[in-house]
Amino acid sequence: MERVRKRDTDAFETLYDDYHRLAYGVALRVLDDVSAAEDVTQAVFLKVWSAPDLFRGGNFAAWIARVARNRALDMRSSAAFRPKSELPESLPENENLEDVAVAHLDAESVRNALDKLPKDQREPIEMGFFGGITHEEIARRTGIPLGTIKTRIRTGLRKLRHELEAAVTA
Amino acid sequence: MIDRHDDWLDDVAAYALGTLRADEAARVREHLRLCERCRAEYAALQPAVVQLAYSAQACPTGVNGPQVSPLLKTRIMRAVRTDAAPRPAPRSRSRSISPWPAYLVAAACIALTLLTSISNIDLTARLHATQSQLAQNARRIETLQRIDMESRAMVADLLSADAQRFPVNNGEVVRRGAHLYIAMRSMTDLGRGKTYQAWTLARGSTTMTPSVTFEPDRSGGAVVALPVNATGTSAVAVSVEPFGGSKQPTTAPLFVVSLR
Repeated sequence: MERVRKRDTDAFETLYDDYHRLAYGVALRVLDDVSAAEDVTQAVFLKVWSAPDLFRGGNFAAWIARVARNRALDMRSSAAFRPKSELPESLPENENLEDVAVAHLDAESVRNALDKLPKDQREPIEMGFFGGITHEEIARRTGIPLGTIKTRIRTGLRKLRHELEAAVTA
Repeated sequence: MIDRHDDWLDDVAAYALGTLRADEAARVREHLRLCERCRAEYAALQPAVVQLAYSAQACPTGVNGPQVSPLLKTRIMRAVRTDAAPRPAPRSRSRSISPWPAYLVAAACIALTLLTSISNIDLTARLHATQSQLAQNARRIETLQRIDMESRAMVADLLSADAQRFPVNNGEVVRRGAHLYIAMRSMTDLGRGKTYQAWTLARGSTTMTPSVTFEPDRSGGAVVALPVNATGTSAVAVSVEPFGGSKQPTTAPLFVVSLR
């Protein structure tokens, strides 16, 4: 990113090669529309180019996934209003998001780990992340108490983390 | 006894996943600054959220998931390389130093000719012709420079992070400050006799005003600067019209986008 900040187009191209599938995949999952997902990916990477300082360090994959998700949700809500949750693009200070081990898993391994979660934990996680709805909306749609939804999300994320660690060490 | 921090920890998980409302997220963010335990929980959960995103990652081959069009990279890199190209020097400086060396050289020659051949009528006539030609060239250069600067300004607007983007089918309407653009791709070649025409709706008005007509390039792309003040415009539309454009839309619009 340092080289991108110095307007190095080769460095930007490398960054695109490494992360465009992540941004596109998230956008496609949110929007379910190939053309719109391409538009989001294009907007995200042009934003990286035109305003690289928006990325303040840490895990670039985490950041670009957030930006792609937020932009995709913006695009979706431009067609019809939906309650929108916030996934911050800037993160709290002093946090370390680097996770070298799980960062090298491929998408299929992650999907397998996700499939191992109980349905009542996997569904609110996927609804929240890819559906872009708040935990309150998840509770309303599923008819499950809000507190239960929150706890299932937390428990599910912890299990997912453990499954991914297990996949790395397997 | 129930640990009151469990509530916070649940909220931290929702924050990491991105399912909190903006006001709730701000509350949790503030708490994270103060609470080491919640910060540790957030750090523990965050990689799982990142991997959740990876679960949707497109596949290089398209066999196990979606594949990204290589044309996307072409488009993005073209825009980036255009933006990265050296910018023109400021206009006042360029007038005095570099852009018109031929003009300056010719002007010097003219001055020399005036000194040495002042009595030669034939030469004077040629001098007038040369001066006229130089003046024409200067106007042409000035026009090209203006077009070049406008193009660069348009690219800067289109790439700007603070531009507002209103998605439409196969493109977007972009608003930045008082400027308004339509950026389209995959447009159909209409053939002879037809053209695309933009329409704008002034704030407070109920009638669309005809704007520019345009054609896509060979790749089906089109970027059009609309000659209106964006701040006074509440909607943009595009329709297919007879060549030369229409005063009223004669076909259903391809899109109408409201500029909120």
